[in-house]
Amino acid sequence: MKNCVVAKRELLDLIDRRIGEGKEVVAPVKQENQANFKRIKSTREILWEGPQTVIPPKAFLFPQEEELMEYEVNDEIKVKVKVEGKPIILLGIHPCDINGTALLDKVFAENNLDEHYLKKREFVTIIGSECLVPCSPESYCYRKESVLPLEGFDLFLTDIGDNFFVEVGSKKGKSLISEIARKTTPSDTKKLKKIRRVRDNLFDEEQRKLKPKLEDLPKLLRENYDSPVWDEHGARCFSCGSCNMVCPTCYCFDVRDYMELNLKRGTRSRFWDGCLLTDFTKVASGEIFREGRGARLRHRTNRKDWYLFEKWERSFCTGCGRCGKACLTKIVDPLDIENELYDRWKK
Amino acid sequence: MTIYKPEIARINRIEKLTKTESLLEIELLSGKSLGHQPGQFVEVSVFGVGEAPISISSAPSDLAPFQLCVRVIGNVTSALCSKKPGDKIGIRGPFGKGFDLKHFKGKDILFVAGGLGLAPLRSLIWSVLKSRKDYGKVYILYGAKRPQELLFKEELKNWREREDVEYHVTVDVGDEKWQDNVGVITTLLPYIQFNPAKTQAVIVGPPIMYRFVIRELKNLGTPDKKIWVSLERKMKCGVGKCGHCQINDIYVCQDGPVFNYEKLKNLPEAI
Repeated sequence: MKNCVVAKRELLDLIDRRIGEGKEVVAPVKQENQANFKRIKSTREILWEGPQTVIPPKAFLFPQEEELMEYEVNDEIKVKVKVEGKPIILLGIHPCDINGTALLDKVFAENNLDEHYLKKREFVTIIGSECLVPCSPESYCYRKESVLPLEGFDLFLTDIGDNFFVEVGSKKGKSLISEIARKTTPSDTKKLKKIRRVRDNLFDEEQRKLKPKLEDLPKLLRENYDSPVWDEHGARCFSCGSCNMVCPTCYCFDVRDYMELNLKRGTRSRFWDGCLLTDFTKVASGEIFREGRGARLRHRTNRKDWYLFEKWERSFCTGCGRCGKACLTKIVDPLDIENELYDRWKK
Repeated sequence: MTIYKPEIARINRIEKLTKTESLLEIELLSGKSLGHQPGQFVEVSVFGVGEAPISISSAPSDLAPFQLCVRVIGNVTSALCSKKPGDKIGIRGPFGKGFDLKHFKGKDILFVAGGLGLAPLRSLIWSVLKSRKDYGKVYILYGAKRPQELLFKEELKNWREREDVEYHVTVDVGDEKWQDNVGVITTLLPYIQFNPAKTQAVIVGPPIMYRFVIRELKNLGTPDKKIWVSLERKMKCGVGKCGHCQINDIYVCQDGPVFNYEKLKNLPEAI
């Protein structure tokens, strides 16, 4: 779809009008010293160049707790599935998170359609914004080719001065700004190119290096399956699962039933679960199939940069840096692990 | 209808097999046959308690009722085994890849079942015995911890008496009445004279058993591709989403639970 430009003020005014009409707009805002997604009352609240939000935008598509169905148990059992979505505009989404969401779109739509996710997704509008400075010392999106979104957005904004340069990703995005969109001029495109060149240089300079080539990560992980690095890092893992919770592409879940006290009506919900948690693979007999902390750490890293990377031809780590930031003992960051594997492998 | 919505089913019959295992006969209220392959599993819902993956214990049939052999071990199985005939539960599935009979037709078959492993294996054993002439020799080796833990005692008697089946049984610890073998399951292998080149070996049992049985079979000359297993994992969703049953890059609920060892041996997390 065609790119365009919009005056910044006009776009923000337009969104403020939508908010005034009752539209739910969610954006990163400052909360204590961190950033978090919140429903905003005005675009003035938006934190445009802040750190990555504590929780990624997956929470709006795949909530931490999500009711899948409710049921009534009498002589007959009636089950009512809950597949619902509500219109939300997610505004100011970083490219890494757009890419993370695009990967979730793939896995939830694969083979067995997960309608609970897909229905929410259908109603969500994603307006991304380009990061022109690294958002935090932990992030390394440039190393994961994630400074720009490939797909999964409705609009993607780049600040080029008085205007936003807008990449239009969908009809929904196009119609949202049709009244204020203007054609791009050669000068707009030139500005965009220059900004991105400067951005690339800055990110390349400031972000931590990934020593192996990005496309070699599956091979690196395959050939270092038995590396002592896993148990060395694992020995310091608290199995807290924070890395899983904050990851934009972790989508494992557990399912639980709740029964009302009358034992007639109940619900079944799913919750975020994490492969770093000890009980993740535990079956009723007590057997734990991935018992070592190093083995669990390896599994998570392999999922991101080997198993799912090979399957979808794209790394499932977008370099957002959240897991490295959240990790209590600083052992989980895939880039750190991969560099360490690489250094020892090359020796 | 979504991938997580259970179909309502009725428990027709519950038969207590041992102190901890019961055989449940279940029928979908729709009256439809489950349409499963031997070795597949279903997700069983006890509403208000939860859902658990349970292998189907009966052979495929055009008739609607199917059977699950359930051990009381967790919340769902405890609740399930305390149900009464006529009670309703939820069923999703059948899920996963079971045993494809085309690999077994015309071949000798060696069944090795340990403990509750007989539950899924029984669906294949009876599929084979129902059209017995389509297969070569049939060996059944079955082991349990103690005599009172043996499942399907009437059927074991039938297999022992049949002339077209060679059946051997062992327990880890016998009692005063026990007259058969005592020892782990691999101690039954010397009883049979099977031809490794012509025999498909099928192993189902507790996680620890696979390593030892596979090693013995390989020592006896069984090629990897003639060894089949069914693996237990926490198949929470059954549809390849929730992540719990993953072994390296594969999902047991999608690619298994039945695997050929040729494939499995390259997955370090499998056995």
